Amino acid sequence: MNIVVVGGGTGGTLSANLLAKQLAAEIAAGNVNVYLVSGSEQHIFQPGYLHVAFKNQNAREIVREEDSLVRREVHFIKENADRLDLKNQTVLLESGKTIKYDYLIIATGSVPDPSAIPGLNESALNFHTSTAESKKVWNAIQHFEKGHVVIGIAGVPHKCPPSPNEAAFLLDDYFRERGIRQDVKMIYVTPYPRPYPAEPMSRVVEPRFEKRGIEVVTFFNVESVDAQKREVYSLEGDSISYDLLIMVPPHRGADVILKSGIGDADGWIPTDKNTMRIIGYENAYAIGDATNIPVSKTGVTAHLEAIVATNNIVSAVRRRREIYRYNGRINCPFEMDSGRASFVVGSYDMPVREIQPSRLRYAMKKTFAKFYWRTLSGNWDWLLNAYFGKTHNVQTTEV
Amino acid sequence: MATRETIVKPTVVVDSRGTMCPGPITDLFKAYRNANVGDVIELLATDPAAKSDTRAWAKRSGNEILAVVDEKDHVRIQVRVVKKGRQ
Repeated sequence: MNIVVVGGGTGGTLSANLLAKQLAAEIAAGNVNVYLVSGSEQHIFQPGYLHVAFKNQNAREIVREEDSLVRREVHFIKENADRLDLKNQTVLLESGKTIKYDYLIIATGSVPDPSAIPGLNESALNFHTSTAESKKVWNAIQHFEKGHVVIGIAGVPHKCPPSPNEAAFLLDDYFRERGIRQDVKMIYVTPYPRPYPAEPMSRVVEPRFEKRGIEVVTFFNVESVDAQKREVYSLEGDSISYDLLIMVPPHRGADVILKSGIGDADGWIPTDKNTMRIIGYENAYAIGDATNIPVSKTGVTAHLEAIVATNNIVSAVRRRREIYRYNGRINCPFEMDSGRASFVVGSYDMPVREIQPSRLRYAMKKTFAKFYWRTLSGNWDWLLNAYFGKTHNVQTTEV
Repeated sequence: MATRETIVKPTVVVDSRGTMCPGPITDLFKAYRNANVGDVIELLATDPAAKSDTRAWAKRSGNEILAVVDEKDHVRIQVRVVKKGRQ
């Protein structure tokens, strides 16, 4: 029996490790093979891009070799999948080789794509695509002396919903530390009706932006950017001038999903929001950013969804009657005022609530960042469960 | 006032039922980005913020709310695109 995981990010790495751990007996007996298919030899802690961009954190601190994170029982195929044939249960690799699967987990993530907005690639910096691009942000702000900085969201959805606001807070801190904040006009642009999309957390952000003199322009869906004129235009007919433009790009599904024709027009895979099964397929699952389910695209959700998808596969392999159902739990760290952080917390049945930032929560955010690499092993879920509380329930089906 | 009587045949239906804020308004923006002037976007939503968010966006962007109808378990909102981009 072959179980294939496609994608070596948070969800994919954890999925492969959890399957290898839980099915150790079957693997040892030669009855099950777990494959991880990923062309990325490096694993990046993507929330770390923020500090590379705005606090000059060393990029090496947020990168590890994927080899070092994958259990030895997993067959790590170090190349990308070229196409996924769900009907014939086959993964076609870039080399032309194929792997037939009995169960599949797609964890191919999301792709920030500045080219989706005319002029954005040429004009805007971002801290979502790579460590190199994040470093460019740091280099640019170091040389910035005065003028208009426009920072915000160029397209939705995007991974890590708090990240644009976090960037604005950190950038404001940076200019204050340099003593030039009074020479910088900061404008935060968002397509949403408020500074943060969920109203309870926007009530936390808005007064802090106001106190810091960060102007907010809402209902601004970026249409295009004119790099010559240094102007950004919205679908709503507005325009804003900039001297420095830092924008979260629009995101889409991975190339392999678009090529395989299994996602919607933007490459998001239609997925059951509870079981993580791909709609229409009993033995194929999608997790993390790759899905179309109505939760934030974050590492935490990828982690929690991986637990559900792998448990459902193990249950099926062992012919048990349990079905695991994700409850939509989210828990996004949200860095705000200097040395303080909040969390965006909610689930399908529990709306996001207002949580004020604190130094304790900032310490928790920093601790988790250091602990992230260990969480990928699947050996620390007992600790995460203690913190998160209930993130899924188990339904027993009838015989 | 936009009511059931003002409902027209939509150009595109955006089914955002079951999504939490900001799901509905995000889905609306996606449809708006792909729409042409004159198109009617119909948004179906269960999130309570959908009505107020859509009304606020329509007012700000100069687009027209044709209908806001409370169905049994969701709201149906129709928006006609009358303005898009720089004009």
